[in-house]
Amino acid sequence: MDIEALLGALEHSPLAVAMRHSLWLYPIVEIVHIAGFVLLVGAVAMLDLRLLGFRPSTSVRALSRSLLPWAWAALLLVVPSGVAMFSTHAIEFAANPAFRVKLVLLVAAGVNAALFHNGVFRSVASWDQHVRTPGAAKASAALSLLIWLGVITCGRLIAYL
Amino acid sequence: MKHAIALCAALALAPAALAHHGWSEYDSGQVLTLTGKIIESGYEHPHGHIRLETPGKTWLVVLAPPTRMENRGLPKEALKAGNTATVVGYPNRNKPEELRAERISVPGKTIELR
Repeated sequence: MDIEALLGALEHSPLAVAMRHSLWLYPIVEIVHIAGFVLLVGAVAMLDLRLLGFRPSTSVRALSRSLLPWAWAALLLVVPSGVAMFSTHAIEFAANPAFRVKLVLLVAAGVNAALFHNGVFRSVASWDQHVRTPGAAKASAALSLLIWLGVITCGRLIAYL
Repeated sequence: MKHAIALCAALALAPAALAHHGWSEYDSGQVLTLTGKIIESGYEHPHGHIRLETPGKTWLVVLAPPTRMENRGLPKEALKAGNTATVVGYPNRNKPEELRAERISVPGKTIELR
């Protein structure tokens, strides 16, 4: 499959045409995207800060149970709105260095989260509360914060590079 | 995994064939004033544009988001093909036919675009 042709077809889709021509659709979709990633990155950052050692009296399990569903739900706002904005100039965005780095970082965030949940988090019962979190959990949390800060930075820089 | 990371890095660092329209792409040290006939226009997000036919050269002039132009009194009809316009702006550093407009004058008014 020719990627260029695929991106071109996306640019000509009814969604992309509506996004370009409707006066207020684009800004509304941008607002949805921002509201979504505030929720997503906010939830992730709160869990990461707990893992780094803040508020040791808070149960890691309880905190992750209450926050992570919101992070998943936020993807329902972030991903469709992101695709809609991408569609308006798909070929140009695909070539944008900030956009490319952002996609790589999103994959990295996913891999980091998957490794955390299938790794050190399995033993959370032994470090749930009032004890020092394991080094592996702290490293994963610190990496997660850095990656998400990078995603936000790249997202903003798309318009400037 | 290693290959995936290397591929991602290569993709990320590959030179952009086409960049998005930030102001840094344009050479603000070189202010151009162009007058001509609009031969095509797009009142589109994220930025509007016109193709402006000037003596000897047709420029792609990048304008502001349509919401801003609408707000400042530059409706879609003011940019229709056949109208004349004067733009003041900066040429793209890499694309010799492209200009980012700081302001545009159409008969009867001048609109700031930044």
